[in-house]
Amino acid sequence: MKRPAITINVSDIAERETSFAKEMFAPLAGMGLTFTRMMQNVSGKIRPTISYPEERRSYSERYRGAHILTAREDGSPRCVACYMCATACPADCIYIEPGEHPDPHIEKYPTRFEIDMLRCVFCGFCVDACPEEAIIMSRETEICAFSRDETIWGIERLMRRPELAEFGLGYRPNAELVDSRLAFVPKEKLIMSMPNSITLKEKAEMIPHVTFDPRK
Amino acid sequence: MPKFTLNDQEIEAKPGQTIIQAAIDHGISIPHYCYHPDLPIDGNCRMCLVEVEKMPKLTPACTTLASEGMIARSNNDRVKEAVRGVLEFLLINHPVDCPVCDQAGECRLQDYYMVYGLHTSEIPLDMKVRKRKVVDLGEMVVLDQERCILCSRCVRFFDHVTGTGEMQFFGRGDHNSIGTFEDRPLTNPYSGNVVDICPVGALTSRDFRFKARVWFLHSTDSICVGCSTGCSTRVDHRDGTIFRMIARRNPEVNKSWMCDEGRLSFHRLQQWERIARPMRKSVDGMQAPITWEEAFISVDSNLKEIASKHGRESVLGFASASATNEALFLFNRYMSEKIGATHFEFRLDGEDRTVTEKEDEILRRLDKNPNTTGAIKLGFANEHLGGIRGAIEAARSGKLKAAVIIYFKPLIARAGDDEKEALIADLVNALEYSVVIAPYKANWQKAASVLLPVAAWTEEEGTYTNYQGRVQFAGQAMLAEGDAMPAWEVFAGLLYASGESRLWLSFDEVFQSMKESVTIFHNITLEQARREGALATE
Ligand code: SF4
Ligand code: SF4
Ligand code: SF4
Ligand code: SF4
Repeated sequence: MKRPAITINVSDIAERETSFAKEMFAPLAGMGLTFTRMMQNVSGKIRPTISYPEERRSYSERYRGAHILTAREDGSPRCVACYMCATACPADCIYIEPGEHPDPHIEKYPTRFEIDMLRCVFCGFCVDACPEEAIIMSRETEICAFSRDETIWGIERLMRRPELAEFGLGYRPNAELVDSRLAFVPKEKLIMSMPNSITLKEKAEMIPHVTFDPRK
Repeated sequence: MPKFTLNDQEIEAKPGQTIIQAAIDHGISIPHYCYHPDLPIDGNCRMCLVEVEKMPKLTPACTTLASEGMIARSNNDRVKEAVRGVLEFLLINHPVDCPVCDQAGECRLQDYYMVYGLHTSEIPLDMKVRKRKVVDLGEMVVLDQERCILCSRCVRFFDHVTGTGEMQFFGRGDHNSIGTFEDRPLTNPYSGNVVDICPVGALTSRDFRFKARVWFLHSTDSICVGCSTGCSTRVDHRDGTIFRMIARRNPEVNKSWMCDEGRLSFHRLQQWERIARPMRKSVDGMQAPITWEEAFISVDSNLKEIASKHGRESVLGFASASATNEALFLFNRYMSEKIGATHFEFRLDGEDRTVTEKEDEILRRLDKNPNTTGAIKLGFANEHLGGIRGAIEAARSGKLKAAVIIYFKPLIARAGDDEKEALIADLVNALEYSVVIAPYKANWQKAASVLLPVAAWTEEEGTYTNYQGRVQFAGQAMLAEGDAMPAWEVFAGLLYASGESRLWLSFDEVFQSMKESVTIFHNITLEQARREGALATE
């Protein structure tokens, strides 16, 4: 059987009609648009430009930025040094050294947990692999440093860096299921408004000074 | 020979074999926990159930003798359903804490769950019976009672292999758990074996605990060089570091066992300081680094000069019973053909006597060298000098002028090791010209005229001849440190420097040459040596 030709609806756009009057008016219309935008900017109605870094754009809840190690109730890392993240990591940038935990029901914990932030490709596989929800991601993107050593983040920085509050939580697929905590101390000026320990289930707005959201 | 059918395949069993044994021999795997080829059969885990025609119920393959005309099946739905049921029962109270369990990756529960189970547990976490975790059982073993599946392999090991009976089950029903009386530590010199045979993570190794996840490790088949028994082992390593050594099954030598000292012996290998480069003593009496090429040429010309000036009897080839057959073969060839030496020795303390003497009734032997038989058979025990003491005397009286000495420190320490090493030092001091070939640094080596670094065990391929005369292969797990090269390569270099037309470039070539020129090795193939070893017979 011969297949019928596929018909695609194509709207017929006629050649733009033009006239002498329209051509004369076009620059004026353009300048009018420019002027309107200028007035909108001046009056603060819209602001396509933001003053980074004091202001930042807000990223999606699923943004894959720098990692966070979550904490137990007592503030120690939830991580049990199982190496699932290190096994899944395609960049081979997670280094773990395990130790014997005094509580036999926890048994194992990391004495060292390091992520080489320059090698990391921010794929989030480590978060997917973790059976304990011990590693999640933040929306932090700024990983600048003055030396190579500083780009290797240890447990302390992964868990408790004070600037975490400015960026907020990123990719954490099991947020609704697990009661893992963050154990960081926000920077001084934020202490009043921020709790220093929240659970992932709480919906905390942690990005106080983002002023521009292109979706709104 | 009873013939029977398993999964529509005709199988010929050996008389007295059970279904599972015949199946394993023919490459058919039947899931099991409690069955172990080197332990008495118990039939308690119920994982190996098979269907046998004309039997009303499923029957365990490990306790049912294979008999003529029997038709058995291990792969139909009825069997799979039963195995799945058994697995579900085993997992009822299992903690499934694989993330912190050292067995993960080589755990039979994980493996069979992926093949037969894949069920969702019906037991909520808080209803599981909790038992004790991290129970300290001494130097070698850590016990986790929750993970035990009560297969009794460890109990049978201590009852029937060592005969000491340390482990037993306590309690009944759900609370049945494994342990030692009053948590007494296991002091048995073979207790590390229960870690190997425990199919789950209930017994884990104190030494290997949390050191590495097993899937990161590479495995190399090797043998233990701790004593003249030469147990077959597997060395697990990563990035040039050995993480553990476990026993490899070899029914002819060690069954599935090895001693604890041997199991931990690799630690010493990694602690000792190594010689980095070839060294030669210069006129001021200090050693300075030289290249291998310079070393070969200078050693060869010096030895030849001494031999022509003082006669062939003034040169000694002093081997080590820890060197490989290949190294000893080329050593002998170089010394006898190129230098014309007649004195060959390796004995520090009557090793040729102690090589077969037992230290205990299971595996360990008095001689702490892996290749004493090889050294004897390759001609390093002629009676002219009668051991190292004779050699020292000859050197002091001026009859002996030069020697090439290989020295490997034993990996398992015994009283008297230091005295033996002091004898080597005495020999070096008494000689006019000495070439010392060794992997590890020692103070007395400063007196040597030439010092050549060689690879240690696990850094080279080689064969060793154990107390039975069995030639076994040990593989290479890592590269040698610094400029060190395998000892056979040193002698291949010396032979070449001395005008030999042939240059041996690989272990296989040396093995082949050795096989051709030494009668007792004629019938041995490398494949045999790699598996269970082959007897070197006259
Ligand atoms: S995000 Fe990807 S690359 Fe980075 S640490 Fe995790 S797994 Fe590795
Ligand atoms: S996967 Fe999770 S628990 Fe395991 S080592 Fe990584 S962060 Fe720790
Ligand atoms: S014994 Fe096996 S199944 Fe049990 S926790 Fe250990 S690895 Fe997991
Ligand atoms: S400890 Fe291991 S070997 Fe012993 S009974 Fe339990 S599972 Fe079997």
